[in-house]
Amino acid sequence: MSEKELGQKWDRCLADCAIKVGTGLGLGIVFSVVFFKRRTSPIAFGTGLGLGMAYSNCQNDLRSHYVLHSNVAKEP
Amino acid sequence: MAAKILPVVKFATKVTIAGGALYVAYDSGLLGGSEQGSVALGRAKAAIPPAVEEWMKYFGFELPATPKIEFSPLDAWNSGVKKSIHTLSVAPSTVSDYTKQGLQYVKNHLK
Repeated sequence: MSEKELGQKWDRCLADCAIKVGTGLGLGIVFSVVFFKRRTSPIAFGTGLGLGMAYSNCQNDLRSHYVLHSNVAKEP
Repeated sequence: MAAKILPVVKFATKVTIAGGALYVAYDSGLLGGSEQGSVALGRAKAAIPPAVEEWMKYFGFELPATPKIEFSPLDAWNSGVKKSIHTLSVAPSTVSDYTKQGLQYVKNHLK
């Protein structure tokens, strides 16, 4: 992986992390207000969910250069 | 009869609101892969200035202009790394120079 490509991947990772954590937070707040009587646990759960999704995306993105990609022909 | 239907209606409204929020998040690509996320961020960044301008016109006052901060974290970090490594690389010779100077000073004062 060239340095430029690596830098772009990290940029995407950080932007994605910000978006996912924000979305998780927002959805957590919505669910907390609507269903869970304004408790904080859904908010924490949503934020954690967003962080986890971002981490998993980052991991796949950074690994994709070294993972073998195959094209499987479909059976007719 | 209305008293029996009301809890159902309330619950249906709550499910609609929560489900709608979830669907909007899914539809705008906020929950997808990295590329979708950065595309959504770009769209949001492009959409904010016109929205802010419209709100300002509606309310009739001007927000103060955001000050331009001439600080680049990347440049600061890179120059910090360069300086630290340079200091580490000249450290042995600098230390030996200072030690020699110190010993010379002590010798001169003991004469």
